[in-house]
Amino acid sequence: MKGSTNQPPRWANKFLIWFVAEDLIEEIQGDLHEAHFHRSQEIGRLQADRLFIADVFRFFKPYAFEKYSRAKQFLPMFNNYFKIAFRNILHRKSFTAINLVGLTFGIATVMLIGFYLQNELTYDQSTPEYDRIHRLHNHYRDQVYTCMQFSKYFDTEGKDQVNLLNWLKGNEEVETACHFVPSNSQIGGGDKYYVETDGEQFLAEKVLYTNTGMDFQTVFPKQFLAGSPESAFTGFDKVTITEKLAKQWFGSDWQTRDILGRNLTIRDENYELAGVIANIPDNVHYEFDWIIHQETIPSWAGYTYFKLKPNALAEPLLARLNQDVNKVYPGYTEDILNKGILSVPLADIHFTNDTLYELKPIANQAYLTTFGIVGLIILLIILTNYTNLSIAMYADRQKELGMRKVMGARSKDISLQLLIEAILLAMFCLPLVVLILYEVIPHFNELMQINIDRNLLFSGSSILILIGVLVLTGILSGLYPALAYGSRSMLGLFGKSKKINLNHRHYNFRNALLTAQFILVIGLLSLTFFIQQQIDFISNKDLGYQKDGIVYFEIDGAEKYKELENALLQLPEIEAVGANGVPGSVMYNQMTYKMKGTDVTFSDGTQQYLTLGTVKALGIKCDACELLEKGKEKIFVLNQTAAEKLAKIKGVEPKDLINETFISEPEWENEEFGYGIHQNIDGIIDDYKFFSLKYPNQSLIVEIVSKPSWAYEMIVRSNTDNWQATMQKIENEYEKIETARPFDYAFLEDRINDLYLEERRSGTLMKGLSLVALILAMMGLAGIVSYIAYSRQKEIGIRKVLGASVGDILVNFNKQFSYMTLLATIIALPTSIYLASKWLEGFAFQIEPQFWVVLLAGFAALILVVFVVTIQARWAARQHPIDVLKVD
Amino acid sequence: MQGLGYLEETVLLLILSMDDEAYGFSVSEAYKKHAGKSISISAIHSVMSRLEKKGLIKSHMGGATAERGGRRKRIFEATAQGKEVITEIKVSRQKLWSLIADLS
Repeated sequence: MKGSTNQPPRWANKFLIWFVAEDLIEEIQGDLHEAHFHRSQEIGRLQADRLFIADVFRFFKPYAFEKYSRAKQFLPMFNNYFKIAFRNILHRKSFTAINLVGLTFGIATVMLIGFYLQNELTYDQSTPEYDRIHRLHNHYRDQVYTCMQFSKYFDTEGKDQVNLLNWLKGNEEVETACHFVPSNSQIGGGDKYYVETDGEQFLAEKVLYTNTGMDFQTVFPKQFLAGSPESAFTGFDKVTITEKLAKQWFGSDWQTRDILGRNLTIRDENYELAGVIANIPDNVHYEFDWIIHQETIPSWAGYTYFKLKPNALAEPLLARLNQDVNKVYPGYTEDILNKGILSVPLADIHFTNDTLYELKPIANQAYLTTFGIVGLIILLIILTNYTNLSIAMYADRQKELGMRKVMGARSKDISLQLLIEAILLAMFCLPLVVLILYEVIPHFNELMQINIDRNLLFSGSSILILIGVLVLTGILSGLYPALAYGSRSMLGLFGKSKKINLNHRHYNFRNALLTAQFILVIGLLSLTFFIQQQIDFISNKDLGYQKDGIVYFEIDGAEKYKELENALLQLPEIEAVGANGVPGSVMYNQMTYKMKGTDVTFSDGTQQYLTLGTVKALGIKCDACELLEKGKEKIFVLNQTAAEKLAKIKGVEPKDLINETFISEPEWENEEFGYGIHQNIDGIIDDYKFFSLKYPNQSLIVEIVSKPSWAYEMIVRSNTDNWQATMQKIENEYEKIETARPFDYAFLEDRINDLYLEERRSGTLMKGLSLVALILAMMGLAGIVSYIAYSRQKEIGIRKVLGASVGDILVNFNKQFSYMTLLATIIALPTSIYLASKWLEGFAFQIEPQFWVVLLAGFAALILVVFVVTIQARWAARQHPIDVLKVD
Repeated sequence: MQGLGYLEETVLLLILSMDDEAYGFSVSEAYKKHAGKSISISAIHSVMSRLEKKGLIKSHMGGATAERGGRRKRIFEATAQGKEVITEIKVSRQKLWSLIADLS
């Protein structure tokens, strides 16, 4: 990189010099550098570098090293090693192929797992000085909120929203503090926006609201491609967009167009487009496409961060905050439900369990550990498979090596030769692994919803690790034969009786490893099956409501809702329309409740507000709803779970609670009721699974109204065969009434399926891993059997002379491996059932992992084993005894 | 024995058309211009080495330029045999063409 900045990537250049024949290097390198020079002027440095790398790899073929042996006259010894190595490789083509394919797939899988783990484990670590950044959490009731409430709740002024930040900044150990709310969070509304500029209208999602832009920039620095932090965050009503959005809105040539300073109209408010920033990396705990900097954040709380000065500690600050908390939140300590403010280091956010309103799904540590372990096992398997196969390959080379010794080779020459061969063979995989990963990473990203940059492959550290693993594999596989043959006496190498009997010496070790592979295969197959079973189970589980044929979408207020409801009910295919209460939600805040006249207070209630329409659309069984039909405006009901809990305390039947008094938030002192809010229970409704099936039945405290006084979402059940036409009709009606928000609907069924997205993903990933394990194990088996068959030729010949049939010999071969499969199944049985039940712990409603699944997987493995063994051993079993016995 | 593939023929023609300036990069650029398709430099190199083995072209090391990082070029030119072969191809093609009355 010294001097000129216009050099192609150095490693690729070095690689080129390494493999290209000496007499060709000047012209080839010259041409590639010239091409790179012109390309970087025409299409930019980055593209040119990429093409250069591609070109270098295209030269990696016999043509470029063709003259190697002719041109390189130095070290004739080494040359001979290479020649012999190549000849040996060609001599045992199928063996080498099995060996290399196994090694390539295995290493590629392990690298992929490595990339994934790295992506997950370095969450938020791209933020500079991340170890000094913390986020505040509030412990309230039994839940930990990841956001901090503003001091005067929802409709506070911007200057009051920053009270907490001002307190933080007043401490000497705090460098700065900021807060924000992304719209696609549970407290951010999740809205879609129409953005109008210059008569054009764009759709935008994922906005981040902040009123402390400069501090936000200090804590989470973003690279400005146009404008500057000062221009974007000084003064309010300014919008900053990411490059992605800039390209969407203004085309890929947005930089040539004068877009800064434009007026943007969003929901009838005017904003100034003040900056363009680089896209936000994927592995950070927040996500946004654009930023609105305005005086008041439109939410009731904010995600609050502070950055410490170097060497400052968070604990004393937190202690002081909890002491002074009443200054920031008047009356905080009087509310006994407040249990104190906590802080979490930035890099730990992605791993902090059981919090409320987290911005992104947190990492599932069980999965990460599983992937890590499976990766390690696969690595172990490929290493041993490769070593096994290599040892087998060397076994009948002793005459060649004896000859070398006769010609004067020393022990260390022999050892060196064998080592070089082994390493060389392993290095063949390098380009293949890179190629496979390059193709697979985009698919993997799509599956896991992550964004691993595939150019990471070409980073120095990845290449180094890859080369390191391959060299290690080569050394490990070559070491034993190298030392064993090197130290053999000359006569020993020629002598028939003194053959190194690798077959027996490694018998137990090799069998143990093969069994371990079978265990992995059977275990992974069973786990894949269990995951699939569980996913099928939750998809078919009765949720207590109907999920088919239902769409839902946002609506702005009760006025518009009523208008649209009337319009939609005119359509013949619409069966029911309701407001609010769309089920299939992740957990949200809970409340306390008790019965009047009892002492026991529960804290696990969730409140629901439904309309009669929603109840009808979902088909929830509700006897008390008759009251609404008869003209009552509002009823108050409990679900079965809540009713049973309360009835038990009172010592009565759940149905006896009807017309008793229910108290919610009993610790809240007020003028009307004294303590809490008193309500008369009008009925009990059946349990319906409002939340994911990961949670047990929750206590639902439900208010049902016949006509909503407020509405934010609308739920529509239709009976139609032509969804497209129906949705078009609904959209037409919607657009007559709502012009500010785009019509954005979703099916309830999809929403419920999305609750188990992570589980589905891990199911797919397990499938992939079992496939790789299966391929590896079968390849290892095929190699070993074919080697054993080869070295047992004479024994087989004698057996045949003594009257054994082909079938007998095949049975003989199969017996050993079938026992191993059986043993593997027995070991896999408890292990995979244990792991499956661990995984199932995440679900309140779960299947029972059945042992026959493992037996089935074992049986499938057995069939494959017999198949592979028979194919490989058939050749040896069919040989005519005369052919094999006449030699020597 | 001297069968020429399509790519070999094209590259030979390009070399003939380029006087003294035919080397790997320039031929690949010329190919792009005339054939309208891009081709990798390594493909050009291996074609030229095949042609050289067949004795249809010969080469010498030419001048270096700054954009090549001071490395010299290998300049190719057609041998007498190369010119003969390409003329033969042309003549035989023309004979065939003369047998075709009208294409459309």
